[in-house]
Order: sequence, then C-alpha cells, then structure tokens
Amino acid sequence: MSTEPDATVLDANAIAGLLAEVFAGAEMTSASRACQSCGQRRAIGEHRLYRGAGLVLRCPACNDIAMIMVEGDGWREVRTAGFWSLRVPGPAAA
Amino acid sequence: MAAAAPARIVWKMATVVELVEETAHARTLVLDVPDWPGHVAGQHLDVRLTADDGYQAERSYSVASPPEDDRVALTIERIDDGEVSPYLAGELEVGDRFEVRGPIGGHFTWRAAEGGPILLVAGGSGLVPLMAMLRHRARQGSHADARLLVSARALDALLYREELMRLDDARDGLSITYTLTRDRPERWTGYARRVDAEMLEAVGPAVANMPRVFVCGPTPFVESVADHLVALGHDAAAIHTERFGPTGG
Repeated sequence: MSTEPDATVLDANAIAGLLAEVFAGAEMTSASRACQSCGQRRAIGEHRLYRGAGLVLRCPACNDIAMIMVEGDGWREVRTAGFWSLRVPGPAAA
Repeated sequence: MAAAAPARIVWKMATVVELVEETAHARTLVLDVPDWPGHVAGQHLDVRLTADDGYQAERSYSVASPPEDDRVALTIERIDDGEVSPYLAGELEVGDRFEVRGPIGGHFTWRAAEGGPILLVAGGSGLVPLMAMLRHRARQGSHADARLLVSARALDALLYREELMRLDDARDGLSITYTLTRDRPERWTGYARRVDAEMLEAVGPAVANMPRVFVCGPTPFVESVADHLVALGHDAAAIHTERFGPTGG
C-alpha cells in the first residue's frame, strides 16, 4: 500500500473516524474498557494501535488484545475482548 | 445532539483558503469546510485524498484552530518519504479541494469551562492539538492554571513560536517552558534535555492539585512522559495521551 512503516504503534485516537464509522457514529475514544487480563479500566483512546494486515487495539496497561478489525472486499469484521462501556447521548429526562 | 450523529462521519469537500509556512518542515492549511458543525479543542479531522486512478489515502490530523474560528486550520509536518504530507505540506495550493470528515474524537479534548489546572506536554508537532486548547483558552478569556512544556529539536523547529511568546506574555495564568533537545542558540537558558520526571515536577502543577494532563507527540515520547507522570503520582485516569507517528506521513 505504501512504503511507510505501517506497523508503528499509535493509539486509538488515530482511528477515531473509523471507529465512529463502525459503531454507528458513536464517539468511541472516550468510551472506556475494563481489561479482562489486568482489570484496569482505560479510555479506548489510550489503547495502543497496531497496524498490520488488520488493526489491533491493545490494553495500555498489559498489552492484552482489546479489539481486532479486519476488512475484506465489502465487509468489515470486528472482534472485541474485555468489558467495553460506552455512554452515548440519549433522550433527556422529562 | 443525536446519539448516532452520522453528519460527523460524512465526507465533505474542503477548500484551502490560506497557507502559512510555520517552519521549514511544517505548514498550516486553513480550510473552508461547508456546514462545519464546530469542534472541541483537541479533536481531529480525517483527510482523504483520491488519485486520478481512484487510489485513496486517508490520514487523521489534529485541528490547530480554536472552536471560536469559523475556518478549520491543520498544521502538517512534511515527512519527506511520506505519501500524503509532501502533497499537503508541499504541492497543495490555495483554492485546491480535498475531502474531510469530522470533527472526530472526544478523549483528547479540553474545554475552557472545565477549568484547570492543566499540564500540556508536547513533543514536536504534538503541539498542534495543545495549541488549539491554548488558543481556545485565550479566546474564552480563561485564567485557568495552564502549564505548557514543549520539547523541540531546535528553536527553528518550534511551531507557533511568536504566538506562543505572545500567549506567555499575557500573564493570565499560562506559563510556557521549552526544552531544546538537539541544537540550542547561544546563551540559551531554558532546558536542554529530553523531558524527564524532574522537569515535569518543576514545570507542572502540584500532583496534589490533581491537574489534568495532556501529552501528545511521537509514541516513544508519549510513553516515556506518561511513565514519568505516573511515577510522580499522577492518576493514570487524569493523563490523556495521543501518539502520532510516521503513519501520519
């Protein structure tokens, strides 16, 4: 695809747009995730991003896998691990 | 605002209205984006370029301008063997158009109404989203306790130099500290080493005052600064980090 080193580790902030696309417009970087390995709760934006054949997000505390995303022709598959907690705007109390 | 606000993730055609050379390697693009819904300081914009043969390249850039501006500014560092930045920070001209979507992101953001104290730590062009926060702070007339620590290779690699001096001169609760890691001017009295725990402790608000911390820069810089901050006793949940790397090229 390019000669640039795609495997460089970034964080999920770099794919905030893609995450919004996948999660129906929701802002995911401020969602939090509790890791099933180390128990730490961190914002998705803090998770490390590894780019290879697909995208992998890893826990910033213990590096365990939080999400794997692969794309094919016309489809996208997302697998998540750990406990993801997302708060989105909803109807206000009357 | 609706939960699934797809407007944010719709691609729109932006027009370049102004170009500002910031340093020998970085340029600011001022964009006119139709129906820009406004942003929060620290958010991003995704850029998509399409070649004549249909090949597309996407990149995410931090917005440099404050939410108070109608136009959206991006500051892009040219990576010479990069795929996108040599075009955006080189060949691109006023009047050119390309696709954007945003604003995007919500984790690495600060609003003046949230107040201080805040500690902003920038490595190289990691200064861009932090500059949006400081511009926003100034435009809102905020006097929140804000400390900016900027690490740059040399003085001529430092973005927004004159504007930073003006902001610092306002004496409105903001203090700016520089560290130059490679080349220093003669009689340089500022720091001359990589950011370390001692520097963070000297520059930052006291840990007991529970500052929110924003760290942006290349991945090794961010990881190192975050480790020092945790070692100093800062709450990991109060440390917001954003890493960028050559994939931004």
